[in-house]
Amino acid sequence: MYTMPDEIGYFGEYGGVFIPETLVNTLNELESAYNFFCQDNNMQDELRQLLQHYAGRPTPLYLARRLSEKYGATIYLKREDLLHTGAHKLNNTLGQILLAGYMGKKRIIAETGAGQHGVATATVAALMGMECTVYMGSVDMERQRPNVSRMKLLGAEVVPVNHGSRTLKDAINQALRDWVTNCNSTHYILGSVVGPHPFPRIVRDFQSIIGEESLTQVIEQTGGMPDDAIACVGGGSNAAGFFHPFIHSKVKLTGVEAGGRGMSDGDHCATLTTGKPGILHGCITYIIQDNNGQVLPVHSVSAGLDYPAVGPEHSFWKDSGQVSYAHCSDTQAMRACVELSRLEGIIPALESSHALGYLMEHSEKFRNRTVLINLSGRGDKDMDTILKETGL
Amino acid sequence: MKTYNGMYLMGNHPDEDTFVQAAVRGLEFFDFLEIGLPFSDPVADGDVISNASNTALEKGVTPDKVFRNIEKIRTLVPGHKHLYVMTYANHVYFRGIDTFMEACVSSGVNGIIIPDVPCRESVRFSSVASANGIWYVQFITPESSREQVIEASATATGFLYSISVRGITGGKAGFSDDILDNIRIAREFSRVPVVLGFGIKTIDDGIKSLHSADGFIMGTRLVDMLYSKGLDSFSMFISELSNNYSV
Ligand SMILES: Cc1ncc(COP(=O)(O)O)c(C=O)c1O
Repeated sequence: MYTMPDEIGYFGEYGGVFIPETLVNTLNELESAYNFFCQDNNMQDELRQLLQHYAGRPTPLYLARRLSEKYGATIYLKREDLLHTGAHKLNNTLGQILLAGYMGKKRIIAETGAGQHGVATATVAALMGMECTVYMGSVDMERQRPNVSRMKLLGAEVVPVNHGSRTLKDAINQALRDWVTNCNSTHYILGSVVGPHPFPRIVRDFQSIIGEESLTQVIEQTGGMPDDAIACVGGGSNAAGFFHPFIHSKVKLTGVEAGGRGMSDGDHCATLTTGKPGILHGCITYIIQDNNGQVLPVHSVSAGLDYPAVGPEHSFWKDSGQVSYAHCSDTQAMRACVELSRLEGIIPALESSHALGYLMEHSEKFRNRTVLINLSGRGDKDMDTILKETGL
Repeated sequence: MKTYNGMYLMGNHPDEDTFVQAAVRGLEFFDFLEIGLPFSDPVADGDVISNASNTALEKGVTPDKVFRNIEKIRTLVPGHKHLYVMTYANHVYFRGIDTFMEACVSSGVNGIIIPDVPCRESVRFSSVASANGIWYVQFITPESSREQVIEASATATGFLYSISVRGITGGKAGFSDDILDNIRIAREFSRVPVVLGFGIKTIDDGIKSLHSADGFIMGTRLVDMLYSKGLDSFSMFISELSNNYSV
């Protein structure tokens, strides 16, 4: 049986609780709340109801016929793009808002990159009548404008972050500063499998419904296990949830990071290909950093992947070889986005387009295989970038 | 008990000479100096120290360059004035905990403070520090339970850092019961001075701190003063501190 993380929050060498002492008891409280949830049928039932009737689960597993034909594989898309709010992020925020309620917190904070996690957090805060503040890098506010408007419409305050690279990493820094100041009243809904323990575990568990449904659906539809499963990796939550039920199976798992403009420093966020172990945002994990241990600027056309670290469980999976990690460039992802739109009538998020782009670029590896791809979100939010990059 | 007051300065900021001179001048009053190593993601710091960190990085300050000036400061101040390096866990972990502690030893550092390592993660750092004769500073906060205060007190060397408020550096100091009670417990169990920091900006904050703690730490105010008003104003403020706290 797979029992990671261990009781002190480690996935082998990775993970842990590297945050100011002030937050230690807040994280302990969160862990207790989650342990309570894990054995409380009422809370679990409430989450199941919300996932089904509010969020629209189960999401379909769709055999993409024209895509399959063109690339010579049998390709199934797990349609997280059809989940309420347009991405997998809601699976996690619905779970965490119940924990927040159980802990008696009145105020919610979150970070966001692509804005999908911000929207998913603003959504559940509205649903539960809680106050909500979302930190977002000013670069991301510019490139994901529709999501900024959605968060505001949902009643959240969106706070621009102008420190550092003004993207996801800096939004997390700012959210942590808020949390350490307001830890008694506030729950921080972290949006990926990153951060201090118990976040990597909680977020993975809430996202595992993606993999569990996919497993059932693929067996229903094909009578067997797939050969491959592919997902994009930013912090790594959609991938962790998608892979988790397959981790001890023969299915070949591939996480695709953002290859950006190329493999020079500052041009990509392929953390697991080029990073080195370090400590950022509360855990030991692979980080893109210079020889002095300073976190380096990174780049991706997709705001949700534009992050110089990755969840600690992915670092563990990389070292253990349980998952392979690859990357897909801005251009390949953009091409994949257009390709899927025209072959299947589905406009994928630029994040998800990285998983598709990897398959398309390496279709020879997948010939005659059955491949599941997690389509983590839809591309409406990316329309400005897509138009600019493709010149449509 | 004798007081044990500290100041924080960002290493090599605003420039190497000013940093060294401010350190020496400040240690005429203060008992110890915390030297920040600039880090790209200072999550425990407010705007003033974060900006100092960024500015230093933009000017190419590296841990090694700061260590060289610590070595210099060590030769300019008496041995009973203590030097602590304050930096984020990644610097120590990435360089290798052993290698980092060796760099501390060879530049004359007495102790280390890592604000993103809570007590529960501290052993891997404190054991190596201790093997190298480097003090390892633990924290107590308004959130700490009695048991946590006792554990931190039992393991702290150098001094015990009591954080006055829930928050980051640069805010307003807090003197609420939850921290004052914890300081009382800590002083009962700790073999090292219990020092209050975060938000201590005025002479009055310092006086209030000394009612309950063995000392106070001033950071943001000094970093800001040195950067925006220069060494002369800094020096005048140190004189003012000396006059106000002379026994
Ligand atoms: C649609 C979509 N996919 C993927 C990601 C990347 O996050 P993660 O790696 O945690 O799934 C994001 C993040 O914003 C996203 O919006």
